[in-house]
Amino acid sequence: MPDISALDLRGFISGAMNEVFDTMLSMNIELADEGVHGNVGGERIVGSVGFAGKAVGSVSVQVNEAFARSITAAMLGMEECEIEGDEDVHDAIGELSNMVGGGLKSHLCDQGLTCDLTIPSVTTGSDFGMEIKGWERKESLVFRHHEQLALVNVYIKANG
Amino acid sequence: MALKVLAVDDSKTIRMIVKRAFKAYDCDVIEAENGKEGLETASKEKPDLIILDITMPVMTGPEMLEELKKDPALKEIPVIMLTAESGKENVVRILKMGVKDYMVKPFKGEELIERVTKLVTLESKQNEVEDTSKKYFSIVEDIHILTLPQNLDRPASVEIEKNLKSKVEAMVNTGIKKFILDISRGRGTNVTLIKLIIMVIQTCQQASIGIRVIGTAALSDELKGFAETSGITVDLSMEDAKSAV
Repeated sequence: MPDISALDLRGFISGAMNEVFDTMLSMNIELADEGVHGNVGGERIVGSVGFAGKAVGSVSVQVNEAFARSITAAMLGMEECEIEGDEDVHDAIGELSNMVGGGLKSHLCDQGLTCDLTIPSVTTGSDFGMEIKGWERKESLVFRHHEQLALVNVYIKANG
Repeated sequence: MALKVLAVDDSKTIRMIVKRAFKAYDCDVIEAENGKEGLETASKEKPDLIILDITMPVMTGPEMLEELKKDPALKEIPVIMLTAESGKENVVRILKMGVKDYMVKPFKGEELIERVTKLVTLESKQNEVEDTSKKYFSIVEDIHILTLPQNLDRPASVEIEKNLKSKVEAMVNTGIKKFILDISRGRGTNVTLIKLIIMVIQTCQQASIGIRVIGTAALSDELKGFAETSGITVDLSMEDAKSAV
């Protein structure tokens, strides 16, 4: 079984986020320096997907409402005022996490850690925290697009 | 007769992206949210092409494909699979299912169209080109103005580029020699915007048309940061641009 601690998760997630933002949104994002606090502020929208198999874990992408609306508009090729409602924003953020998670899942499978991906789920709110225990690896990456931040969390452990 | 394309995906976002990719073509894009709904719609509508997601609730893409292949009336419909997973194992699995092609998300609308044209013939919608032209181009006094949208993505950039050539030809024929590129609605620069700005300026210069760019102070600063656009003077108001052009 491949060693999970040896995987270049940061490099892979960084590449996947850049590819998704460039291809689907025509937006440039950059990885913030390590140590930058990933507090996206305000009403938060978290898209996450899980994967299960030889590797078990989850990938979540967290942004604030304003950035989520910019992302949705860019993804759908429309102005922000044309977004029909929260459902569209949630769907877009869910799809964003699905693409990043799908990329990671493929990477894990290619490393021999075969696993399946779940359907994305979306959580919204302003006053909640996430605490997940018992993982072999946890990576938090903060990305910046102008003044906006996106926080990506990855939790992973080998199964069996 | 318009080509019928069935987009089956549980994500409205992806269905809208697919719909937008076909916008410039004479196509009816019909939608379904899962494999079960997709199968029912395919039986009823007999589409010319199916764009099918893999991971969906109720009935997955592979399950729908299996049912499709059992039905003599539907089994010949070409299917392009969409997947968020690019792993070798996944790709081999998809190809064994009997699909014509597959696309890994993230993908560009143009890439999807490129794949589709290998399977079916797409015809451009003439009215759409005219409508796009009205959306971005206007004439004030004797000046042609191109106003870029808040979020300039690749499909919009391609549409604008298509229209620009005919606009410039018309300007040359009618003797109008003034052009303003308005980027002030943009929320920031990106590679697509930079490429389009350069293309517009070069196209105008080659046709000996005077051109000015209008933007915000923030956009002006951002353009200075790119070698290709660092020399561009950005006017901060329409009045400034009109008097300078």
